[in-house]
Amino acid sequence: MVDHPAVEVDGLHVGYGSTPVLVGVSLTVPRGQGVCVVGENGIGKSTLLRCVSGLQQPDEGTIHVFGGDPGATPEFWRAVVTTVEPPTWYPGLTAREHAELVCRAHGQDPDQAGVDEALERFGLANHADAIPPSLSSGQKQRLVLAIALLRPSSLLILDEPEQRLDREGRADVAGLLADYVEGGGSLLMASHDDSFAQASGAAITTMESLSAVTP
Amino acid sequence: MTVVPLAPVRRWISRTQSAHRERGATLGSLYVGVLTIAIIGGMFHRQVGEIFWPPTPDASALAAASLVAVIYGLLYLALRRFGPLALSRPAASWLLPAPVSRRRLLLPSLRITAIVATVIGAVAALAIAGHAAPRSEAGDEVALLVTGGALIGLALLLIATAAQAGGRWGLVLDRVVGVVFAAGLAGLVVSTTLDEPASVDRWPTVAVLGPAVGVAAVVVLAVLALVIRSLAATPSDRILDASRTAGTLFDTAFGIEPSFLTDMIERRYWARRRLRSTRLFPRLPVLVAQDVLLTLRRRSRLLWLLLGASLPVLLGSAPGWVLGAAVLVGLLIAGMTATGNVKTDAGNPVLLRLLGLSSRQAVLQRLWVPGVLASLWAAFALTLLDVVGDLSAGPWWALGLVLGPVGAAAAVHRARVGFVRNELLPLDTPMGTLSTGPLVNAVMGPDMLLLGIPAWIAIAQGHLDWSTVLIQAVIGGAGARFYLSGTTGDDRTELSH
Repeated sequence: MVDHPAVEVDGLHVGYGSTPVLVGVSLTVPRGQGVCVVGENGIGKSTLLRCVSGLQQPDEGTIHVFGGDPGATPEFWRAVVTTVEPPTWYPGLTAREHAELVCRAHGQDPDQAGVDEALERFGLANHADAIPPSLSSGQKQRLVLAIALLRPSSLLILDEPEQRLDREGRADVAGLLADYVEGGGSLLMASHDDSFAQASGAAITTMESLSAVTP
Repeated sequence: MTVVPLAPVRRWISRTQSAHRERGATLGSLYVGVLTIAIIGGMFHRQVGEIFWPPTPDASALAAASLVAVIYGLLYLALRRFGPLALSRPAASWLLPAPVSRRRLLLPSLRITAIVATVIGAVAALAIAGHAAPRSEAGDEVALLVTGGALIGLALLLIATAAQAGGRWGLVLDRVVGVVFAAGLAGLVVSTTLDEPASVDRWPTVAVLGPAVGVAAVVVLAVLALVIRSLAATPSDRILDASRTAGTLFDTAFGIEPSFLTDMIERRYWARRRLRSTRLFPRLPVLVAQDVLLTLRRRSRLLWLLLGASLPVLLGSAPGWVLGAAVLVGLLIAGMTATGNVKTDAGNPVLLRLLGLSSRQAVLQRLWVPGVLASLWAAFALTLLDVVGDLSAGPWWALGLVLGPVGAAAAVHRARVGFVRNELLPLDTPMGTLSTGPLVNAVMGPDMLLLGIPAWIAIAQGHLDWSTVLIQAVIGGAGARFYLSGTTGDDRTELSH
C-alpha cells in the first residue's frame, strides 16, 4: 500500500467574490508529523484548514487527505478531527456526557478512554455536570480539545487551539499535541503563537511561504 | 441620582423613528389590520357566533368548570411565559440601563398586557356562559359574568406580574396552575365520556353576582394600584428575559420561523436545570441511549403526553375522519417529544462529524425512541376511545402499537426540515399572494402521516379487524424503511434533506 502523506495540497486557489484569499497554495503534512501555519489575521489560514477539512470547496487546486478526497464521508470523519467550525452541543447533555457519547460512538469504553482524566487534565473536572452552553468560551474551547484528543483519530486539524486558554492551559495543550504526534498522529494547525507551535512539536510555516503569489 | 424624565425621551425616539418611516405607514398598517379583521369577521361571523353563543347550551357543569380551569390556567401560563412585563429589544438595551423612572418605563407594557388579559378574560367568560348557562332573559347576569371574567383576567395578570418580580413562589405557583390546567383537561375528557346533558338550569341572580363582582373589582383595582407602585422593583434580568422572548416572538412572526421560539424555550429550560452526569445505557446503541436519557430527563413531558392521549376522546362526537386525523397528529406530536437531538444534528452536523456516524446510522438510531413513544401513545389513545365506546370492539391497542414507525418517521422527518425557505417562489391566488416557503415547511413531517391511511380509514369507519392491523404494520414498517434508505446514505454524515 502506498504510504500517502496525511495532507497534500497543490495549487489551491480560493477567493471571496473578487478578492483572492489563497493563490497557488501548496502544502504537505507527512504522516506522523505536525505542521503549524502562522500568519496575520485574514491571510487565509482558516480558509486553508476549511478546505483541507472538506468544509469549503476551493476554486482550483487539489487536496488529498491520506491519499483520498476530503469530504463528508463517515470514514473521513472517523480519521479526521477538526475544530475549524464553532461547536454545537446537544441540549440536556452535560460536558461529561458529551465526552462519553463521542467515546462510545467510536467503540471506546469511556473509563478506559479516560474521560474523567481528560476532563481533569483540561481543568474541567468541576464542570463535568455543567451543560456546555453554560461554560465560558475558554472552558468550551478546552472541552472541544479534550473530546478531540479523547477519540481515536489519525489527523487533527485545529484552528488556533491556543485561543482563549491561559498560559498554563496552553502549555498543557501543547504537551498533549506533542504526545499525539509522537504517538503517530498527524497535526495541521493554524496559530498566532510560535512558542505554542514549537512546544506542540509542529514544524512552523508561514502562509506566504506556501503561496505561489503573495495576495 | 438624577432621574431623567422619560416622556421627552420617548417623544424624541418616536419622532426620530417616524421620520424614517414612509408618510402614513402606521395609519396604513392600522387600516390593513382593521380591514383584515372586518373581512374575516364578515366571512366567519356565524361560526364565531356558534363558538361563543351556540343556539342551545351544550356543556355540563363539570365541562364548564373544566373550561374555566383550562382557559384561565392557560392565560396565566402564557402571561408567565411571555413576561408579562416586557420591553422592546431597543428599549431593553438603551432605556433599561438609563437613569429614567423604571415605573414609567414599564407602565405602557402593563397597560397593553392588562387590556389583552381583560379582553381574553371577558371573552372566555362569555363563551363559557354561552355553552353552559340556560337561555333566558338574563342580560344583567351575562354582563356581570363577563365583567367577572374580565376581572379574573386582570387579576391573573397582576399575580403574574408579582411572580415576575418575586422569588421562588412564582415557580411553585406555575406548577400549581399547570396542575389546575391538567385537571381541567381531565375534567373535559370525563365530562365528554359521561355524556351528561347541560345541567346548569338557572343563572346566579343579580343579587348574588352584583356584590361579588363589585367586591372583586375593588380588590383587583386596589391590587393594581399596589402593583403599579411597586413596578420599579421588577428585577432587570427578568425584564431582559421577557424582552428577549418578545423579540424572538416578533422574529418568529416576521420570519415565519417557529424554530426561533422553540429553540429559545429549549435553551432556557436546560439553562435552568441542574443536571448530574450519568452513564449512557451501555447496552443500547449510543444515540438511542442518548435519546432515552434526554426523554427521561423531561419526565413532565411524558406526563403531558399521557394526558394528551385522552384528548381524542373530546372528539368522540366529531366525524370519524376528524377523530382519525387527530389520532395521527397526536402520533406525530408524541414522536416529536424525542427528536430534539435530530434537530440539533440537522441544523449543524458538527457533532455528527465528531461522532463519525453516517446519516443512515444516525437516523436509524434516532427513530427508535420516537417510535416507541408514538406507539405507546397511539395504543393508549385508541384503547381509551375503544373503552369509552367511540369505536366498535376490535384490536385497537394493536393498531396503536403498529403505528409507531409512522409516528417515528413523521417526527424525525419534521425534525430534519430546518429553516423555512423564504426564497421559494410565491403563488398568486385570487385571495392574494401565498408564500410557499412556510407552506412547504409546514407539510414536511405531517406528509409522512399518509403512511397511516389504513388506520385513518379504520378509525373513520369505527371498525377494525386483524387484517387491517397487519396491512398498517406492513405499510408503516416498509414506509419507515424506505424513508430511511431514500433520505440517508452510508457515505455522508449530513442529516438535512
